[in-house]
Amino acid sequence: MSWIREGELNLLERLFANILKAGPMPKHVAFIMDGNRRYARKRHVERQEGHTQGFDKLAETLRWCLNLDIHEVTVYAFSIENFKRSQEEVDGLMQLAKEKFLRLLDEQENLRKHGVCIRVLGDLTLLPDDLQRLIAKSVVATRAHNKCFLNVCFAYTSRHEIANAVKEMAWGVEQGLLHSSDVSEALLSQCLYSSRSPNPDLLIRTSGEVRLSDFLLWQTSHSCLVFQSVLWPEYSFWNLCEAILQYQLNHPSLQKAWELHRESQAMQQLEADRSCVAELLHHRSNGKPVDSQARQTALLRYAASREERVRRFLCTLQQKRDAFFDHMSGPTVLA
Amino acid sequence: MALVYEFVWRVLHALLQLQRTIITWLRVHVWKWSGRLWKRATAALLVSLALGFPSHKKIGTQTAKRVSRRVRLGTDGKALEKLPLHVGLLIVEDDHQYTDIANLVVWCMAVGISYVSVYDNAGVFRRNNSRLMEEIMKQQRELLDPEKRRTSLELISHSSEQQEPVLSCQTVVKVLSPDDGKLSIVRAAQQLCKSVEQKERTSTDISVPLLDSLLRESKDIPDPDLVMKFGPVDSTLGFLPWHIRLTEFISLPSHKDVSYEDFLSALRHYAACEQRLGK
Repeated sequence: MSWIREGELNLLERLFANILKAGPMPKHVAFIMDGNRRYARKRHVERQEGHTQGFDKLAETLRWCLNLDIHEVTVYAFSIENFKRSQEEVDGLMQLAKEKFLRLLDEQENLRKHGVCIRVLGDLTLLPDDLQRLIAKSVVATRAHNKCFLNVCFAYTSRHEIANAVKEMAWGVEQGLLHSSDVSEALLSQCLYSSRSPNPDLLIRTSGEVRLSDFLLWQTSHSCLVFQSVLWPEYSFWNLCEAILQYQLNHPSLQKAWELHRESQAMQQLEADRSCVAELLHHRSNGKPVDSQARQTALLRYAASREERVRRFLCTLQQKRDAFFDHMSGPTVLA
Repeated sequence: MALVYEFVWRVLHALLQLQRTIITWLRVHVWKWSGRLWKRATAALLVSLALGFPSHKKIGTQTAKRVSRRVRLGTDGKALEKLPLHVGLLIVEDDHQYTDIANLVVWCMAVGISYVSVYDNAGVFRRNNSRLMEEIMKQQRELLDPEKRRTSLELISHSSEQQEPVLSCQTVVKVLSPDDGKLSIVRAAQQLCKSVEQKERTSTDISVPLLDSLLRESKDIPDPDLVMKFGPVDSTLGFLPWHIRLTEFISLPSHKDVSYEDFLSALRHYAACEQRLGK
């Protein structure tokens, strides 16, 4: 089964989709696709069959999202914690991933037509070599596409992602690109694997579990969380609509809370800049008082130089990340 | 056509809002009505029992009610199969009722929960910390047995206070605001980058356990096992992003006039949840 499923909605679904679209729509939806194994048990089929059907459901859901004008989707495919499962199941999942990424490389033309960009978020070095290479090839092949985005979290946990972002910033400090005082909430967000995506507006978890299981903890702090009891392979268009309706009901309050958060974030940045400038001026003037005009100019100049530093650091970081994928997908590694 | 769609959308949303309001209203009012009956029945039973003893004092209905609650509070915690160690009370409403929150905190203490965190995204409770603590003390005096009253209250913002080693019931109450969430992660990151800047560490030393140990501060407070979310917003609104990795979220319509039965049913729901931890 392919990554993008062709096909349109039926009349009733189309009608309801249009009604939904009259309201505020999420631009980015994240899924925890839970319940494949329970589904397999329920239907008395092999566990692996449950996972395969789960993937097919993903392809179907992506189609619905496109029909609903949702252009970015993030899914939790494999957690670092999942390595604790039985060897047999882990091997099965790795095999499934290999098949699907091979398939993706075969379907490049189709992906180009739809403009699908695939990103894989996680610590790829934890994966078997051949899978790493396949993933890197898929990411590089679809990198230039910009109509819709599918982020696959693989060998991922949110804590690992946050710790990695801190590590990248510390690397920037080591390289002399950053000062430790430049570290801020905004900068940390831009060092996460998900730096190129906006925060998800809506997070959906299926199969009735009511926890985040170390998924996008940072990014979903102001997202609408919807827990649905349906098992993932049984997910339907109407389940998705129900979740979007819930998002729409939440929309005004979430908007308000986000504004409040943004304001306090801006305040914190200003505060940080002020204290840095105060320290600088104190050093320069040897304790003599500085008039407010000079202070204001120094503050503006400092903020500009900080922004420039951060911009340059983020550029370098992105190059470093791109280089990793280029290297992994290059012919030298494959040989 | 677009106008028709928009009209239908508005009607649909009005209906959903209405449904939500009705459900909340029913929950509060039907419970109050049936709760009163139930309480009266227990009180009557207890009074008759008390009167049955040879050396009795006449117990009024008022006292009997309180006795019944005390008894229940003590045994309910033990009756549950699994009790969370750390409960987060997440308020996502514009209204802030100190008495109701104090009640919830005291119920947590009574069933034997060791850590309670109270959070709202505007930081209202944090700013009015002392008022909330006062209210908690007051509710505690009213609701709990004398020997259980010596629960230590410790605030994260005034952590210099030493905890007394008291009886089995020891609860730490923390009042949190968004500053304890992402901002604390940023502070830890700054601290680590500073130590890298001063060549005390290298960037490769940074790992999940290291960051975790910084965010846990010196205290040995576990991650929240359960968050009870009160209010109509389906979001964590910045509640401790690092710490809610495995937290179960249970949603209640409002903390206003929340009943002990609602609280207990949330705990029962939690006790029934199974955690697979990735397996």
